[in-house]
Amino acid sequence: MSFSRPFEIGRKAEVSIRLSEFEIPPIQDVLVVGKKAPIGPEAVKRMVDALSPEQYVVIRLEHDVFEAAVLKKSLLKFIPQDKLLPIILKECSAIATEDSVIKAQLNIVVQVNKVVDL
Amino acid sequence: MTTVENIMNRRIITASPFDSVRKAAEMMNEFKVGCLPVIESGQLAGIITSRDIRCSHPNRLVIDAMSKDLITVTPSCSIWDAAEIVERYKIERLVVAEDGKLLGIVTKLELYHELGKHFDTLTGLNRAEYLYYITGKLIRNNIALSIVFIDLDGFGEVDKKYGHIIGDEVLYRVANIIKAHVDEKLDYPCRYAGDEFAVVTVRPASTVEEYALKIVNAIASYNWDGGMKITASAGVVNCQPAIKSDCDIREFVNIASLASTKAKKKGVPVFTVFYNKE
Repeated sequence: MSFSRPFEIGRKAEVSIRLSEFEIPPIQDVLVVGKKAPIGPEAVKRMVDALSPEQYVVIRLEHDVFEAAVLKKSLLKFIPQDKLLPIILKECSAIATEDSVIKAQLNIVVQVNKVVDL
Repeated sequence: MTTVENIMNRRIITASPFDSVRKAAEMMNEFKVGCLPVIESGQLAGIITSRDIRCSHPNRLVIDAMSKDLITVTPSCSIWDAAEIVERYKIERLVVAEDGKLLGIVTKLELYHELGKHFDTLTGLNRAEYLYYITGKLIRNNIALSIVFIDLDGFGEVDKKYGHIIGDEVLYRVANIIKAHVDEKLDYPCRYAGDEFAVVTVRPASTVEEYALKIVNAIASYNWDGGMKITASAGVVNCQPAIKSDCDIREFVNIASLASTKAKKKGVPVFTVFYNKE
């Protein structure tokens, strides 16, 4: 028995490329680092210092799940750290474990109502 | 006095704070060590132990996984103090450092191996070096102390008459008599050498002679086998207030030894000397 076409012998690879722009900074507004996350506070600090110098603050935490939080400094002009951080940690605690690194994007809208004498 | 400098391991494998935990683990496996001191800019920054590695993601930096609250000792730390620290903090390895510079490492096993050399297995008491250690420590802490030096009378004759096996049994029992008179908070006994025992005590100076007499009487009144007559003489050196920290400890111990010789010569059970060298 013979084949009219021999089997094609060899290996093929299919390459598909998805291109997108690398976000600078890659961490957006907030990064919360779990106690057993693949990166620790010092590594995070070095990363943000290198990628976005002076734009983030790294806060070491005494927390059951998280070891550190990185906050964009500009956010803290809207809401002080002691008000903002508990909200973030509460929400992150609901979805994260000690192994997690959570990235968060925040939209803060400050509403101002003033009464002016006419 | 044996210090950690005498037994510490000087060839130390170290890690950089910016090594990964994975690399640190590989180094520990390769060199078969249970911890790596972490050095940053020539200074000791922390220590990463096998426990830290077990609790950390391998991708982490060593600086994010290491223990920063380091328990260190200086090279001049005595092996007894080092053992106390190891027990107190429940650690397996002790880092030896001075002025932030890493000098060596001592494991708990090495410490206890060395301590064993200063322990008398016949009597279950520490040997003479412990006497020097504890005396020095009390003097440095400005604590008034006395030394009771107990010397068995004519012990050579016991060995000759009854043999060394019986002689050893006598020494064992004398040690037990001394131990029975020890208050762990006040007294530190040792077998000084041969048939000589010593107790460093922080009892009030006025009570030490009576304390020594109690021990000597207990030895004499013990119900020795075969009608043996075992007696002892004690020399006491005491001082109150505490002596200066730069005094010669060996001289101090020697005075107690000579006092026991005087007790023998004078035919009294206890002879006391007051040490007040300014």
